[in-house]
Amino acid sequence: MRKRAVALYAGMGVLISILTFMLMPAYSQEDIVNLADSAFGDRERPAAVFAHEEHNEKAEIEECNVCHHLYRGGNKVDDESSEGTNCSACHYVEGGDTTRPLMKAYHELCKSCHQENKAGPVTCGECHRK
Amino acid sequence: MYEFVSGPLVWISFGIFFIGLLVRVISYIKGLDWQKDRVAYSAAGIPGAAKSIVYWLIPFGSQGWKNNPFFTIGTFIFHICLLGVPIFLLAHNILLDESWGISWWTISDSTADWITLIFFVAVIFLVIRRIVNPNVRLLTTGYDYLILAIAAAPFITGYMAYHQWMDYKTILIIHILCGELMLIAIPFTKLSHFVLFFCSRAQLGMDYGIKRGGRYGRGICW
Ligand code: HEC
Ligand code: HEC
Ligand code: HEC
Ligand code: HEC
Repeated sequence: MRKRAVALYAGMGVLISILTFMLMPAYSQEDIVNLADSAFGDRERPAAVFAHEEHNEKAEIEECNVCHHLYRGGNKVDDESSEGTNCSACHYVEGGDTTRPLMKAYHELCKSCHQENKAGPVTCGECHRK
Repeated sequence: MYEFVSGPLVWISFGIFFIGLLVRVISYIKGLDWQKDRVAYSAAGIPGAAKSIVYWLIPFGSQGWKNNPFFTIGTFIFHICLLGVPIFLLAHNILLDESWGISWWTISDSTADWITLIFFVAVIFLVIRRIVNPNVRLLTTGYDYLILAIAAAPFITGYMAYHQWMDYKTILIIHILCGELMLIAIPFTKLSHFVLFFCSRAQLGMDYGIKRGGRYGRGICW
């Protein structure tokens, strides 16, 4: 009886760790090469290419909160950031009352900077590469 | 290059498109002559005009459509795809939203992909019809094929761009140019039937509605 319980718990433990390992999002930013935000569910397009580390080095972006911004009382907080929190935690696919919808948030963030700097992709297929 | 074709050139081509069509409509109406046409264009003709337009917009609505069932099906599919895909395409709506803050319902990309294939079938049907139907062949010149090519080009290049065949950026730029070429061509070519269809249906509808028994209840819609 005891042995079986131990075996059961051990088995469950293994199963849970495998599951968490499988379900865990890419766990280090070096690993990100593209963004397939799971919040979108059924996708229309291939994942957007975005090699996190390499991109920010090339583009010489120092501050994390250029992208991982934090708002408090409707105002952007300059010296804090929200990395570790997904965009989709605040920007919803179907849109919300206070924040712009998720797809728009991504497009606006990525494209507006590329347009301003005249560097980086601005057409659909350059980001959503097959 | 992309910046130019997706910026100023869009304005220029839509400008030519709208102003050109306005000029075509105005000159059509100005060109009407009740003495030469022997039609008293008057308010009495409005029901006939409206009827003609509506019935010709419905598949098999008019006698002309009923007489040519295959052509009717082919041309309706062709036109529905031609207008539907570009207007309800997600990508076009995203761009419209980004530049003007407006957008409407969209179809999914995979739906658009299928409809585009159906459109190609309709184009091939229209080409074959011009070749095999002797009545139509007699009237057909290279110009007709050119017009069809102008209408099909944005779809062919759009399909290629979506599937990222060949060099994506180049194909995308060609796609945008093809769309702009079509917009500019509309007022200057037979493609002006985009609006002149309504003018000529209204004119004929008035004629039939006033002169040919239309006022006495014989409401056949040719
Ligand atoms: C150019 C925009 C941009 C910049 C700058 C940026 N990030 Fe990110 N980062 C992203 C995006 C987009 C994601 C994906 C977010 C999501 O999936 O919701 C992400 C994800 C992450 C994640 C989560 C990875 C995961 O496993 O899900 C971490 C951690 C992170 N970034 C850290 C940082 C740090 C630290 C910095 C500053 C050194 C930084 N980022 C700068 C855009 C950026
Ligand atoms: C902690 C919540 C939160 C997170 C996480 C977050 N945002 Fe935002 N974001 C907001 C709020 C609040 C606003 C202001 C309301 C608005 O305009 O949508 C905003 C505004 C924006 C804007 C428009 C203003 C600007 O700064 O350009 C963009 C674009 C945007 N977010 C993109 C993103 C992206 C992309 C991510 C993920 C990398 C992200 N946001 C993560 C809360 C968040
Ligand atoms: C603050 C400015 C900024 C933001 C925000 C930004 N980028 Fe960039 N991005 C750049 C610049 C600058 C370059 C050009 C870098 C170079 O090649 O010199 C670039 C280049 C790229 C490239 C091409 C990389 C290559 O190797 O050729 C991709 C892909 C890209 N960005 C995707 C994204 C995505 C996706 C986002 C949104 C999550 C994003 N970028 C947000 C500035 C930005
Ligand atoms: C600068 C890069 C960039 C460009 C240009 C861009 N996108 Fe995106 N797009 C993204 C990012 C980043 C996301 C969110 C991350 C993800 O899931 O891929 C996204 C998400 C999406 C989504 C939601 C996810 C899905 O597949 O259903 C759609 C749809 C989409 N983009 C379509 C387009 C279309 C159409 C265009 C051209 C008009 C376009 N994008 C241009 C970066 C880009």
